[in-house]
Amino acid sequence: MGGKAQDNMAEDLNWAVGGEAGDGIDSTGKIFAQALARAGRHVFTSKDFASRIRGGYTAYKIRTSVDQVQSVVDRLDILVALTQRTIDENLDELHEGSAIIYDGERSWEAEIPDEMTAVDVPLKSLAEEAGGAIMRNIVALGAACEITGFDVEYLDEALEKRFGGKGSKIVENNKKAARAGQEYVQENYDLSHLGYDLETTDNDYVLLNGNEAVGMGALAAGCRFYAGYPITPATSIMEYLTGRIEEYGGHVVQAEDELSAINMALGGARAGARAMTATSGAGIDLMTETFGLVAQSETPLVIADVQRSGPSTGMPTKQEQGDLNMALYGGHGEVPRFVVAPTSIDECFWKTVEAFNLAEKYQTPVFLVSDLAMSVTEQTFPPEAFDMDAVEIDRGKLVDDDEVDEWLDAQGHFRAHAVTDDGISPRAIPGMTDGAHMSTGLEHDELGRRTEDEDERVQQVDKRNRKVETAREREDWDYREFGDEDADNLVISWGSNEGALAEALEYLEEDGIDVRVISVPYIFPRPDLSDEIEAADETIVVECNATGQFADLIEHDVLTRVKRINKYTGVRFKADELADEITAKLSEEVPAQ
Amino acid sequence: MSSDVRFTDFKSDKQPTWCPGCGDFGTMNGMMKALANTGNDPDNTFVVAGIGCSGKIGTYMHSYALHGVHGRALPVGTGVKMARPDIEVMVAGGDGDGYSIGAGHFVHAVRRNVDMTYCVMDNRIYGLTKGQASPTSRSDFETSTTPEGTKQPPVNPLALALASGASFIAQSFSSDAMRHAEIVQKAIEHDGFGFVNVFSPCVTFNDVDTYDYFRDNLVDLEDEDHDPTDYEAAKEVILDSDKEYQGVMYQDENSVPYHEKHGVTEDMSEIPDGAPEDAMDLVREFY
Repeated sequence: MGGKAQDNMAEDLNWAVGGEAGDGIDSTGKIFAQALARAGRHVFTSKDFASRIRGGYTAYKIRTSVDQVQSVVDRLDILVALTQRTIDENLDELHEGSAIIYDGERSWEAEIPDEMTAVDVPLKSLAEEAGGAIMRNIVALGAACEITGFDVEYLDEALEKRFGGKGSKIVENNKKAARAGQEYVQENYDLSHLGYDLETTDNDYVLLNGNEAVGMGALAAGCRFYAGYPITPATSIMEYLTGRIEEYGGHVVQAEDELSAINMALGGARAGARAMTATSGAGIDLMTETFGLVAQSETPLVIADVQRSGPSTGMPTKQEQGDLNMALYGGHGEVPRFVVAPTSIDECFWKTVEAFNLAEKYQTPVFLVSDLAMSVTEQTFPPEAFDMDAVEIDRGKLVDDDEVDEWLDAQGHFRAHAVTDDGISPRAIPGMTDGAHMSTGLEHDELGRRTEDEDERVQQVDKRNRKVETAREREDWDYREFGDEDADNLVISWGSNEGALAEALEYLEEDGIDVRVISVPYIFPRPDLSDEIEAADETIVVECNATGQFADLIEHDVLTRVKRINKYTGVRFKADELADEITAKLSEEVPAQ
Repeated sequence: MSSDVRFTDFKSDKQPTWCPGCGDFGTMNGMMKALANTGNDPDNTFVVAGIGCSGKIGTYMHSYALHGVHGRALPVGTGVKMARPDIEVMVAGGDGDGYSIGAGHFVHAVRRNVDMTYCVMDNRIYGLTKGQASPTSRSDFETSTTPEGTKQPPVNPLALALASGASFIAQSFSSDAMRHAEIVQKAIEHDGFGFVNVFSPCVTFNDVDTYDYFRDNLVDLEDEDHDPTDYEAAKEVILDSDKEYQGVMYQDENSVPYHEKHGVTEDMSEIPDGAPEDAMDLVREFY
């Protein structure tokens, strides 16, 4: 039971629906989340699930507030429990003010701690009266509306969106089912002691997850070709693009494996398309084979790795940030690359756009490293957070037909790997007159033809590495910052921990602990944090892995030991949990140099 | 594209390092002739090759080209063609590249029926690594890694293609220059995935499947009154392990290439300077 969180109760509400996989948990939760968003409330969702289609505990959790919410906390106020396990799994988060909605007519005997409020609603019977037992979850949503003082009419639009395709009769039945649940609770319970009364606003928010933001970013950036192989939790990027990319003349192809997927994407890129692939887990291992070729042939390619718990098959539906070293160092030989790790869901959009620009400007593979938590989490944003007018496209040194001639050698061959001051060569794509050229994974000369000449080898290695140096100078490799800039305590994080950290600051502030949070979206190149770490008394690096891969990098960069907070349970950080961990870590001795 | 393209326009000024007498010379010449004869020029042609002796072909030809990773030439070619249906895509490989490390891709490239051409220089041996068994080596063929033979039946690539739903299956012999070029040309002209297995003898490491062997044993389907549109007849010659055939074994007259089935017709290299005009609709979907 989260003690601190109680103080916050007036501002945010934590709601969940849980049951067996296959019980429609996900769509039920999504409907409630959408209803809240339409009512002008911010929403942050998370999911507990197993990699099974049916069977096994699964839950959809919502944290909602009129203010922005960007983390889950260790507290559950309203729980719709379709199984006893749902209650058991969440006992730690439930508290004396919690209400649990369950169906007492079902065969299981709900064991609900006495201090909590048990709300027994005949979900199945009421659903049957409304038109079908399948709507029992919707009855529960109606019941939840009544408990939280949230107008049941807000569900209507979400129900229309979800069931509109199945005909107006189905939509009407669902609306009826929701009202049946709401009325049942109204007539049978007096829950005013709980004191929930959800405020609404005139704002209107969009609700999306990190993978959808990546997909939308790809479309905004002009991605026209996606090749992938289904793997949790990356697949939903592919599913998002399918059916939408065609509107812009693009195509999604499902390859036979990840070896093929990355090579197809590479082919698309060499043909001149903005191309990408995305994968996770073992998929990135397979793609490693081709990393070197992408870099060596100087092909602009975006490779998204939506990290999940490893190694090997690990925990495929669980959170981890364990692929940092893979993204930085994967592949034999020395492979110049960029590694970008968006730190929030809206940033998944912007960093994807940026990844495509970086790829084309520097003709280099760009790793877009996200993770499971961000991929399945949905969060509300004002639509302006994705201002399409602000999207810029920079195709780098892609030449046009007239410019090809400037880059021909004496024999009329196009110098696709010309050694230039900034390391970047001109890029001609098929169909351009006199642009025909070879590219290869072999070391090559300026024309792309194999060479083992020592001078040419050194020139080509240097020019490829020089692109990274050029990028270091030309681009902003900034970090994002939260909290008190002058605080003695510095907490550094990368990727999706940002939201939980930003909210942890509020808890820490209540306890009188000042913290400066630096959230790093660029892993390579990355910002130099030497001054920031030197200015702080204490530095803690927070990440979801066991060994502290990012902490290792930071120590390497600044030659100073840092403290580490690592979580590798398979569950993302929660704001209140993180506040406690930071407090505890600050009292530990500074590690020896 | 000019009409006066000659096959030598597809030749680079890099001298091949293939062994003198290697079958790959003839295979490549035929491919260049077929490309020129079908009205292509180097600037609208993309050649993809994998690893092995065959993989060097992109260096000796002049066109847009990628010499990639071992076994993955077909996926690269697939990506090129999907992104640019206007570009002629020619994929080259060897029996190791195509039927061993790349066998999975071969099956699926055949199924997809992308409108490109795949020429496999089949010498029934690993040449570049100096003489080990390949998937098409005979079961009793002795090599440094199989001193008593592989004791496994060789892969029948034509049958593998047929079983995978191929729309065009052919075989040629690099030394029969005219027929080889003619057969590759038919593969290029085919609406879909044109697959040609080319007997391309290795003069250094294979003393069994030699020029003489093929000259003595090759049966040209043109002399056999074979109808390539007859699936049953195709099956018969493809599964006939007693003879080595040359010619087009099978061609599906009703072949519908991938881009037509999927409506992939746009030049994907052309994109606007910013987000698409209606891109805010994508955001509004999330209301």
